[in-house]
Amino acid sequence: MAPPKTYRCEAIVLGYSPLGEADLLVTLYTRDQGKVRAVGKGARRSTSKLVGHLEPLTVVKMSMAHGRSMDIISQAEVINSFSTLKEDLTAITKGQYLAEMVDGFGAEASPNPSLFQLMIDALRVVEAAPESDMALRYFEYHLLQVSGLMPELYHCVECREELEPDAHRFSPNVGGTLCLDCNPEDAHLRPLSLRALKVLRLLDRSQLAEACKLSMDDSLAAELRSLLSTTVSYWLGKEIRSNSFLERLHNETLPEVYI
Amino acid sequence: MTQENISGASPSLSRLVQELNRLPGIGPKSAQRLAYYIIRLPDDDAYALADAVTSVKQNIVFCEECQNLTDASPCQVCSDPRRDRTTICVVEDPLDVLAMERTRTYRGLYHVLHGVISPINGIGPDQLKLKELFIRLTRDDVAEMVVATNPTLEGEATAMYIRRHQGREDLRITHLARGLPVGGSLEYTDETTLTRAFQGRQEI
Repeated sequence: MAPPKTYRCEAIVLGYSPLGEADLLVTLYTRDQGKVRAVGKGARRSTSKLVGHLEPLTVVKMSMAHGRSMDIISQAEVINSFSTLKEDLTAITKGQYLAEMVDGFGAEASPNPSLFQLMIDALRVVEAAPESDMALRYFEYHLLQVSGLMPELYHCVECREELEPDAHRFSPNVGGTLCLDCNPEDAHLRPLSLRALKVLRLLDRSQLAEACKLSMDDSLAAELRSLLSTTVSYWLGKEIRSNSFLERLHNETLPEVYI
Repeated sequence: MTQENISGASPSLSRLVQELNRLPGIGPKSAQRLAYYIIRLPDDDAYALADAVTSVKQNIVFCEECQNLTDASPCQVCSDPRRDRTTICVVEDPLDVLAMERTRTYRGLYHVLHGVISPINGIGPDQLKLKELFIRLTRDDVAEMVVATNPTLEGEATAMYIRRHQGREDLRITHLARGLPVGGSLEYTDETTLTRAFQGRQEI
């Protein structure tokens, strides 16, 4: 039996780019199909029924039609526009950072409902507390986990000895933490403080809301930010571009003012 | 497949097809069609097209004031003494200036950013004409800045960045109203637009 020509799905809009005269090429992360690139016909016209429903960082219920090369969006209805998040420059940039990671890790025709839910949960926390970075750290760690790339935190990845509560070393390309005695070839080792290891284990064991209650000093926050974003970039095979603008905003001390 | 791969095609025709193929929205087939159309054009029309391309690359410069594209700097708008010099309307692209001018309502000056902050695409504040805007705001006698970036996520983020970094306390900063387009439909309008339309309702 031929597959149905149309289908419904729930999706997070990750981004879009202009296509032709008035169309949009929209990148979506759907709960049931994984990443989908679809065309919004006429979506750049101000009177289009799709306009406003396809903005990035919006959860949308969609009707789609299978096209020859790409699917066509026939209807879109906003479920959650994260409108408060979109009133804050830092929160928007954090949302774009999450979207860029999902775009990089998400695969077409390869559904991962855990990743879909993880992104929605993280966006909710960023919306509620834009100044906290814990949602990003939790997201990065669990993005690796739901993608089958979870770093080892309890045993040395080389000698398999249980790790003593002490400072260790970490390497994204050998799969996690190493004891001080092991020194495998081509492992780009970086120091891992005991405090950072404890936070990583907390991220591993806890729920998002619980993890976000943790407050860290600047040096520990910087260590984790560098370690996790480097690990994500390593597996992605490229830099996460929105990270540099996020760092720039982070380094500014100007007060938040909105239009 | 471009013309260069087809045996027997003339090298100059292949080159034209290749160059046309580099334009946005022009695929290999369209490039071939356009190339053959240009060959069939009367000589004067074809040379006029080539001359227009050459002239636009030789003569177009950024206006030293508003950063719009112009044949002579300052541009027509910036050198017009009848324009209100106390208001600057900040837009993303030169095409937005044309759209605003079509309204015949706005009589102030412009500032063209040439894009929006788009971290995902690697475009940060330094790639836009933002530094030039902030210098203008401190130097010129500007009382109001209308931030007319598109009401998209990146347009709004750029507006917030401008608001945060413009550095003047006495400046009135506004943005264009959000609401329903003429010819639109309430039924298909997203909740954010409808909420803003409600907030900006007016007496009739």
